[in-house]
Amino acid sequence: MAVAAVHAGGIADHIHPEPQGFVRRYVFSLDHKIIGVQYLITAFVFFMLAGLLAEAIRTQLLNPNGGFVAADTYNEIYSIHGSTMVWLVIIPMLTGGFGNLIFPVQIGARDVAFPWLNMLSFWIFPVSGLMLFSSFLLGAPTAGWMEYPPVSLQGAAGTSMWAAAIFLVGVSSTMTGLNFLVTILKMRAPGMTFTRMPLFVWGQFATAPLLMIATTALAAALAALFINRVFGVPFFDPAKGGSPVMWQHMFWFYSHPAVYIMIIPAFGIISEVLPTFARKPIFGYKLIAFSSAAIALLGFMVWAHHMFTSGLAPFLQLPFMILTYVIGVPTGIKIFSWTATLFRGKIHYTTAMLFAIGFVGLFTIGGITGIFLAAIPFDLHVHGTYFIVAHLHYVLVGGSLMGVFAGMYYWFPKMSGRMLNETLGKWHFWLFFIGFNLTFLPMHWLGMEGMPREVATYDPQFAFWNRFASFSSYLMTFAILIFFVNVIWSIRNGRRAGANPWGARTLEWQVPSPPHYYNFKHIPTVYGLPYDFSQPLPYKGLDEELTDSPPHVAAGAH
Amino acid sequence: MVDNTVQPVRLGRGFWTVTAILAILAVAAMVFWYEFPLEKYLPAAIVTARQVDTLFRFMAATGSALYIFIAGYLIYFSIAFRAKATDPPDAIGAQIHDNHKLEFWWTLIPTLFVVLLSIVSVRIWYEIMLEPENGVVVEAIGHQFYFSFRYPQINGEVTDEMHLPRGVPVTLNLTAADVIHGFWVPAMRLKNDTVPGLVTTIRFTPRLDGRYPIICTQFCGVLHSEMDKQVLVIEEKPAFDKWYKSWQQKNAHASNALPAAGGQAISLQGGNASAGQQLFAQKCSACHKLAPFDQTLVGPGLKSVLHDPAHPNLVNGQPATPENVAAILQNGYTGSMGTMPNASANGLTAQDIGNLVAFLASLK
Repeated sequence: MAVAAVHAGGIADHIHPEPQGFVRRYVFSLDHKIIGVQYLITAFVFFMLAGLLAEAIRTQLLNPNGGFVAADTYNEIYSIHGSTMVWLVIIPMLTGGFGNLIFPVQIGARDVAFPWLNMLSFWIFPVSGLMLFSSFLLGAPTAGWMEYPPVSLQGAAGTSMWAAAIFLVGVSSTMTGLNFLVTILKMRAPGMTFTRMPLFVWGQFATAPLLMIATTALAAALAALFINRVFGVPFFDPAKGGSPVMWQHMFWFYSHPAVYIMIIPAFGIISEVLPTFARKPIFGYKLIAFSSAAIALLGFMVWAHHMFTSGLAPFLQLPFMILTYVIGVPTGIKIFSWTATLFRGKIHYTTAMLFAIGFVGLFTIGGITGIFLAAIPFDLHVHGTYFIVAHLHYVLVGGSLMGVFAGMYYWFPKMSGRMLNETLGKWHFWLFFIGFNLTFLPMHWLGMEGMPREVATYDPQFAFWNRFASFSSYLMTFAILIFFVNVIWSIRNGRRAGANPWGARTLEWQVPSPPHYYNFKHIPTVYGLPYDFSQPLPYKGLDEELTDSPPHVAAGAH
Repeated sequence: MVDNTVQPVRLGRGFWTVTAILAILAVAAMVFWYEFPLEKYLPAAIVTARQVDTLFRFMAATGSALYIFIAGYLIYFSIAFRAKATDPPDAIGAQIHDNHKLEFWWTLIPTLFVVLLSIVSVRIWYEIMLEPENGVVVEAIGHQFYFSFRYPQINGEVTDEMHLPRGVPVTLNLTAADVIHGFWVPAMRLKNDTVPGLVTTIRFTPRLDGRYPIICTQFCGVLHSEMDKQVLVIEEKPAFDKWYKSWQQKNAHASNALPAAGGQAISLQGGNASAGQQLFAQKCSACHKLAPFDQTLVGPGLKSVLHDPAHPNLVNGQPATPENVAAILQNGYTGSMGTMPNASANGLTAQDIGNLVAFLASLK
């Protein structure tokens, strides 16, 4: 409170006028909310493209002999599908997208610490995306999103383009990480201590250092691959004394933390949605917050569990196995806490809530199979098979993407001022949930029985479940079409949201939808955690009392 | 009006009924995984395959039980605590923030489980790693887009099938000629990458006769999908011996004529040392430095291999003569340091061998 008293006055004045031209307002905007929306729109465009590539993959695999596209084209398709979904969809949506859009308002800041850097981060992102897709013109990379040398050294010219594009999008990520970290450290409203921060902010706070530190290792690896391919310096070429396994170390030193970059912000989204619609405080706030930090830290110590078959010294593998098991503990704590949050709640089944509960159910499957894969003897069996494909999609689709959808239904009113249609939303959820499980569950036993990943044709004994998965994947795609229809329809025709349609308690819901330019004329003071529904809101000094909207959610949603 | 008081947490009869049902389901799932006939779907071709299955059963059983509790409570809470139409619009749930006792236990129990799982998996990992070292030695070399197999005791010949005698320990040395491949026999529950410039070893003991597919699990180029056509044949010792002998005979016949790769004779006269130098950079330098004999990379340094008084003999114990160097280049060699592929696996013609020997002889 003493802190609050010192800061409460005197910082209301320094606000630049809102830019008026269309270009400065919506194109080269410095406003974190506009940049967040730009990120989301761009990432959803890439999501559509990569989704089409996914359907091309499933269509090829309808038959054991393929026949939809040639093997070389197929290899290009899944490589770009994976690269796009990781670097141009999930990471930008969860960090640049929802991160930009929401967390500065949640901590009571007027913008991020470095708005110009933020604008630069964003504009690098579509450029690198265009570069990535233009690699199709040169012959796209074919060795998957991991591009292990030496086979990636043999790849067509587009592989160098790929390396350059991913390098660039990595630069963008690094800058975003720096920006968010400084913002959270230095720009919290008076009274917003670390243990009062909303859990979505904690998610971004745990992710930002990962973005900064891990991405630089990827940048080094990509630069070396590019130099090897273009200038012939044989970093990874064993015929000239290079080490191909070195690439794997550098790649996974980034890409394992990247897994957490792709899931910890989604944890944060879920931790906001669950208490709001259960009308209950999140269970075990502190443990959820600290376990995010623990996961982020441990995430740097387990990269070689992706390399148990790569010829590492056997005794070096053991610590990686055990440390990976250890990550199961903080992750389990989160899952238990989310489940306990529902206990004795008053649960409102909005679409956002359905996605959040679905997230817990599906991510847990991905988490448990992750422990399976950490066990070296079992990994030596299923590494490089469809079991891995199943596991990673349970984490990245059942986890991250369900989190993205929960966030979209939850925060769409805040970004647009209108509600998404709940009926379409429920169709979206149920068809997606069923289609997803039917697509990816069979891949577990396909992999265990002997189907390798990254193949354009396969043994006829696997035909039935592949066809089953392919048809189910069309259901998923149909569900996503419903989502896009919903968004496009609701932007113009959705019900007006008002400031706080969900009756939520974090700061972003205490300002109008969308928030004013610069969010707060006066920075409010924070007096407690946002999650106790029995208490008055823990904020003082809000610009206006928002009495315009009774919560929509209470009216008949059940 | 909002009721602000937090009542003490009572667990009602519904909760305990659901818990009992979930416990029964969890036990049923565990029984299911311990009874499931895994070997009906994928035979266990080697001894340690069954240990991997044991570990899988343990993880699948405990994982399913855990999942049944999580998903069960998730569904039960979702139904039992839904907001009802009769609730006032501002009704809130019980404002429970945390419960330190509960959090203590659900941190401690998973931690203990991690310890248990670590013990179980390290033990099984040991059994896989500590398979005996003697027995049949085989080399598998990954190529775009096939594996070739060599038996160092059979000079020089490369087969396209891998035969192994049942019940005899096997040491399999893996390397690759071009890019990384993944050597996987699903029925063995075992794989390892074949990495160019690196020799890795796996050991196992075949236990069940049959023909098992060998599948490449590391993307290796445009025809990667086709790299699943070769087989591992496990057969009785006599059948294996017969197969082995037939290759030995075929080969003895061939090597009497000191013939060579592609059927041409190796000529050690008139080898082109500068062509040999180029070849050395391409084919040999991943494992051999141009340095004294003791400076090993994977194989020994070869700077003065033919003129080194400290090392009058080659690694195979033969005197260091051009003919014996040519024989190693031709047939490959497996020693304490690892495996050097033979001429066919290295893609060396008779002329290439002549050039390489000329180059090595030119070094002083």
